[in-house]
Amino acid sequence: MFRYLPLILKNCWRNRRRTVLTIASIGISMCLLGVMVAMFHAFFLSDPTPEQALRLVARNRISFTVSMPLSYRAQIKQVTGVRVVMVSQWFGGVYKDARDPKNQFPRYGIEPDKFFTIFSELHMPEDQKKAFERDRAGCVVGRDLAKTFGFKVGDRLNMTGDIFPGNYEFTIRGIFDSPRNSDEMYFDYEYLEQTMPERRRGNVIMYDILIDNPANSARIATAIDDQFRNSTAQTKTESEQAFVVGFLALLGNVKMFLVAISGAVLFTILLVSANTMAMSVRERAREVGILKTLGFTPASILIMILGEACAISMAGGIIGYLISTLLMQGVAKSPFGGFLPAIHVFDPSVALVCVLAAGIIGVMSSLVPALNASRTTIVEALRSTD
Amino acid sequence: MSEAIIQTTKLTKEFIRDEFHVVALKDVNLEIAKGEFVALMGPSGSGKSTLLHLIAAMDRPTGGEIRVLGHALRELNDRQIAHWRNENVGFIFQQFNLIPVLSALENVELPLKLTNLRKSERIEHATTALKLVGLGDRLHHLPRQLSGGQEQRVAMARAIVTDPSLILADEPTGNLDATSALEVLTILGRLNKEFGKTVVMVTHDPHAAQFATKMHHLEKGELTN
Repeated sequence: MFRYLPLILKNCWRNRRRTVLTIASIGISMCLLGVMVAMFHAFFLSDPTPEQALRLVARNRISFTVSMPLSYRAQIKQVTGVRVVMVSQWFGGVYKDARDPKNQFPRYGIEPDKFFTIFSELHMPEDQKKAFERDRAGCVVGRDLAKTFGFKVGDRLNMTGDIFPGNYEFTIRGIFDSPRNSDEMYFDYEYLEQTMPERRRGNVIMYDILIDNPANSARIATAIDDQFRNSTAQTKTESEQAFVVGFLALLGNVKMFLVAISGAVLFTILLVSANTMAMSVRERAREVGILKTLGFTPASILIMILGEACAISMAGGIIGYLISTLLMQGVAKSPFGGFLPAIHVFDPSVALVCVLAAGIIGVMSSLVPALNASRTTIVEALRSTD
Repeated sequence: MSEAIIQTTKLTKEFIRDEFHVVALKDVNLEIAKGEFVALMGPSGSGKSTLLHLIAAMDRPTGGEIRVLGHALRELNDRQIAHWRNENVGFIFQQFNLIPVLSALENVELPLKLTNLRKSERIEHATTALKLVGLGDRLHHLPRQLSGGQEQRVAMARAIVTDPSLILADEPTGNLDATSALEVLTILGRLNKEFGKTVVMVTHDPHAAQFATKMHHLEKGELTN
């Protein structure tokens, strides 16, 4: 095989325009496949980070748009294995012009004294943490958000509430760093609670829960849900990852969607490649006859043609995968990335899937023309372009 | 009398082309001895090329027997025939048939890729073969950068690089001008006289046939002498 490599590579480069276009079309398809596989991997197959493994999320069993009583906080804290329970209230609201997507960053009401304990991967100077805890109208923003808007500590941030009507004026008390996208803003839930009329107080959308050991997560989640089994607001407690996937499930059957798109992409590129390889082999039927005259066996002819198709496909696969990592980097860094599970920009298993898929496309697309060429008799091959 | 390295007995080749039954060769009995330079002559469609293809095992007969270099070709499978051809037969085409993306040196090296020689040895052998045909200064030229005569000499170098006992040439001068044709025939003559190669050449050209030591005529698929 390696002995034939120079000939295989020269044959690949024989019709440069066709080869470049084939590599480009496979590359684009593999890029799309890479994004789909990376998403699938992040949603359904990836392991949580050590910090995520210690976190559970409790919400109303009906939906996370339906609230639960604030009194649940104390009851959840009583469950064995629960270390910290924190209110997490989706705020919504309008910042400046709502039509500008840049202004659509996530905002949550939380409990400042517990926030950095539960989300231990977020880092902020101690003095800023203290200032945040002391100021009820204070807020903290992620580094990415601060960069986008040029926020500094001490800046004022005005919001108009929609789910929670009213005008809110926050003071930025700290800027935190996160290993992930940090286009987020957090403020004291108490500030929100105090602005609400009496009838709306005491309701919470979500609880973030820190547990003692990841191995106990299933038991603790069941124990929490069992506590509220007979109440009017039953809970659903799950891992942070499962919660995020559940959030995405609002879009529809994400798993099916990803698999269907990947399948369609692969099938289409298989047809394109098969056509290209059939043309390429047909043009060189006479050369196949010459090689056989020199003593090349049908098997060596088969290997050379399959090798050529694989080389072109895999070049497309590698290029496509590299582009997909850039796209995934963009997705992970985008505000949307904050809603997704942790995305590993370079994942060896995704790279393997892309290159392997490209290799399989190479073999499948060229198998029939390669077999035909290897079986053609010398006399037929030499006569083909006579 | 030298030993016969090609023996055909009642060799027959028939095929169907566009619903017509064609008898390309009929009961051909031929014996060619080692070291001979044989010219196969005859009009178009007389079966000269078909006979050459059968001698090179590029095609299978429909009847009769053929033994080449001691092998009954009928008994060999495709893989064995490929190896046998690589080791024992050098084939020269009328249309040169070089691989256009490979240089002269790479074209000549091609048959050696099927041997156990190391890369450096393959290059050395291919260079020697090209020097032998007078193209030592054209090693890295692509076929399109060579004249017709030079292309045919590269094809000859490719045919002899594995040091085969038998050289088969199918109208090797058919596409060449008189000067180039003379060069090619001279080289074939040298290969026969100086290196002891058995040469079987198909030709229309009586002038080319004069370089041969023996002539056979084919007419409508049958040997006439």
